[in-house]
Amino acid sequence: MVEGFLFAMFAGVAVGCALGVVFHRNPVHCALLLVGVLLSLAGIFVMLHAQFVAALQVIVYAGAIMVLFLFVVMLLNIKGESPLLSPGAAKGFGFLFALLVCVELFWTVVQPGGQEGVMPEAAPLAHDFGSPAALGKLLYTTWLYPFEITSILLLVAVVGAVVLAKRKFF
Amino acid sequence: METTPAIPLIWYQVLAAILFTIGVVGVLVRRSALIIFMSIELMLNAVNLSLIAFSRQNGTMDGHILVFFVMAVAAAEVSIGLAIIVAIFRNRETASVDDVHLLKG
Repeated sequence: MVEGFLFAMFAGVAVGCALGVVFHRNPVHCALLLVGVLLSLAGIFVMLHAQFVAALQVIVYAGAIMVLFLFVVMLLNIKGESPLLSPGAAKGFGFLFALLVCVELFWTVVQPGGQEGVMPEAAPLAHDFGSPAALGKLLYTTWLYPFEITSILLLVAVVGAVVLAKRKFF
Repeated sequence: METTPAIPLIWYQVLAAILFTIGVVGVLVRRSALIIFMSIELMLNAVNLSLIAFSRQNGTMDGHILVFFVMAVAAAEVSIGLAIIVAIFRNRETASVDDVHLLKG
């Protein structure tokens, strides 16, 4: 009962803020509404026993990435777009394709069975499910190579950002 | 520990589908490059929600690891993308994707 109420609240806030991100005129408001989406998703992660990922969501996404967004929005001092949406045909096609994606996703989610059969009942959870210790153990054993590759990716991103910021392009 | 979740898996998947669709709309109809980036973040988060929900259903933590990688890739993507937007803005005084058409000839 409580879970149902919490889920409805978090889902409502997430969807409302997401609509605001897409349709609000002022980029600063868009960024702040996106923080709302990220925080409500963090709440849903806690409901799914993913406490550590929820903490990461708040610290990394809502903390670091959104600060970067706000920094760039305020640095560039971008005014709201005069016509908010793409003009004419592009907008129509955009909504059409989005509708197609929506229908396809809902069909995939809602259709009973399908080729792979129905999802099994929820498995019982280990006592340390979602804890940093369990996540770290998995990350440094099974997923060690992807983890190392991610570090290389971040290094490349840092070097690329520095190069892009120093020179004049375009 | 607890076995039956209060909210069925399908509700989380429906929420993820809705958020992903809103992100698609943002990428397709908005013209500011910054808002397009925010919509991409929205889509990544919808996928994260889907992964976490499946992870809870299966009782394994591999989905959490994937979310961890998605966050790392998103951080790299945002830093590079925003650097590109700043570089474009410094030279062309615009952040609208309609005004950046050098390759069009």
